[in-house]
Amino acid sequence: MNVQQSKTAIIEFIKVNKIYPPDVIALRDVSLAIKPGEIVFLTGMSGAGKTTLLKLICAMEQPTKGLIEVAGHDLGRISLKNMQLVRQKIGMAYQDFKLLPKLTVYQNIAMPMEITFTPPKTIRDRINYLLDTLNLHGKADIKPDKLSRGEQQRVAIARAAANYPPILLADEPTGNLDRENSDLVIKLFAQLNRAGTTLIIATHDPVLYKSYPAQTLELSQGQFVFKDQATPKTATGE
Amino acid sequence: MNLHLSSIIVQTARNLKHTWGTQLMTLITVSLSVLMFSFFFLIFLNLKQAGGQISKNIRLIIYLNNDIPAAAQPQYIQKIKSFNKVDKIIFKTRNDALRQLRQQLGKDGDVLDDLTAGFLPPSIEVYPARDLVSLAKIKRFSDFLATLPGAQKVQYGHKWIERLSYFTQLIRLIVLLSGGLLVLTATFMVSSTIRLTVVSRNDELEILHILGASKSYLQMPLIIEGLLQGVIGSGIGLLCLYFLFNYIRSRFTGPGLMSIIHFSFLPPPTTAAILIISILLCTTGSIISIRKFLRF
Ligand SMILES: Nc1ncnc2c1ncn2[C@@H]1O[C@H](COP(=O)(O)OP(=O)(O)O)[C@@H](O)[C@H]1O
Ligand SMILES: [Mg+2]
Repeated sequence: MNVQQSKTAIIEFIKVNKIYPPDVIALRDVSLAIKPGEIVFLTGMSGAGKTTLLKLICAMEQPTKGLIEVAGHDLGRISLKNMQLVRQKIGMAYQDFKLLPKLTVYQNIAMPMEITFTPPKTIRDRINYLLDTLNLHGKADIKPDKLSRGEQQRVAIARAAANYPPILLADEPTGNLDRENSDLVIKLFAQLNRAGTTLIIATHDPVLYKSYPAQTLELSQGQFVFKDQATPKTATGE
Repeated sequence: MNLHLSSIIVQTARNLKHTWGTQLMTLITVSLSVLMFSFFFLIFLNLKQAGGQISKNIRLIIYLNNDIPAAAQPQYIQKIKSFNKVDKIIFKTRNDALRQLRQQLGKDGDVLDDLTAGFLPPSIEVYPARDLVSLAKIKRFSDFLATLPGAQKVQYGHKWIERLSYFTQLIRLIVLLSGGLLVLTATFMVSSTIRLTVVSRNDELEILHILGASKSYLQMPLIIEGLLQGVIGSGIGLLCLYFLFNYIRSRFTGPGLMSIIHFSFLPPPTTAAILIISILLCTTGSIISIRKFLRF
């Protein structure tokens, strides 16, 4: 996780600061480099800055200071057109889901695929697969607000995963899920990762990141705590 | 391409579903504006045509005190021609006038038997050249003819022509006004309807934006919405005009104004122009709203 790896990194932060007005410092001089195909758990207490970091990657928020590069683009100097192309490469499952209440589950999951002009038949097959995989059979035509929190969460994850994104950002993906459904989500993520997706999963649930062998980055008050990440593969131990 | 189109049509349909009430109101307003404008424009065109027809066939009659001897006629012809080009000049003596009247009366002509030729004035009929179409020019010509030696008065049915001309001017004003109204309703009504769509779909547009939807993906459905308002609105307006036209024509055939004037529908290029301009106006309306209210 050092800056030298930047040549091959798909996501790179250099000294990124994020201050929410008026003076909430969410991230402080954060630098990181994540290579394609990596899995990274972003941990830390609530309020540590996990969500902020993910939002900076998908350009939902702009950094107050510092440089962010995603898929070879400097997000500070990118044209709108390229920005949208980068965003199409990112699937994000938001902590607050951001599902559209007026649309059905099916239409919600279809959105990223419609944006990229995926053929309707492909969309249908993919959605059916995701609904099956995430234990959401028969929910296709229901509006999200009729679903439980756990179900809504899985719909959000299905939408993030729909387009086989090269980068998948999941913000507390198991926050509302029981053990079995968490496992379904982990399985889907693992499957995407095997196909090449870079995964960044923000979670404060130790069960999740301890159960899966991957590196963890711990945030505390907007800064990385360096004890865990020197040797990524062993970071999953005690 | 096909794919893009179907996706964008789905989006457009979604938009229409959310705000159909307002959409319908706008559609009706656009239709009415197009109907009103094209109705007055139709009347205007027909009046102008009729005016032109009448001016073309105009004839000025100079009533004289006395017959003009044949020897003096070339002098008159020369004088008249020096003022304006003329197709034809006919001199009519008292006897000619009487003969003509008798001919017109036909069988009843014998009531004239007891009369001498003296009671009908002699006249000169002047048929001006075709280029003399404006009312003002005809008037000037008529004033000139009145100064010819022996001229009593000049007639050319000017009351009737004047009235037609004023009426045409009035209709022209109404055409301009209703045209302005059409511009306003098409642009602003459509613009405010699109604004409503943007507002009602703001959450969705925002999420589509952060999911990476391109600018055109977000804007196309809104532009198509305006375009559809224009196509359907002006289509309905013109169709209504067509039915109205046929209804009026079937009601008012027979003697009278309609049989003198050849009453015809808007020529196809004009119809197409109204259609295209309305569509452009409505599309402009939606673009205005996109510029103003779509924040991405
Ligand atoms: N939109 C915002 N405006 C102001 N402060 C914010 C906003 N979003 C997050 N914060 C603050 O930034 C800090 C980091 O928040 P967040 O990134 O959501 O942390 P986490 O996801 O780790 O819980 C917190 O103190 C939070 O209150
Ligand atoms: Mg968070």
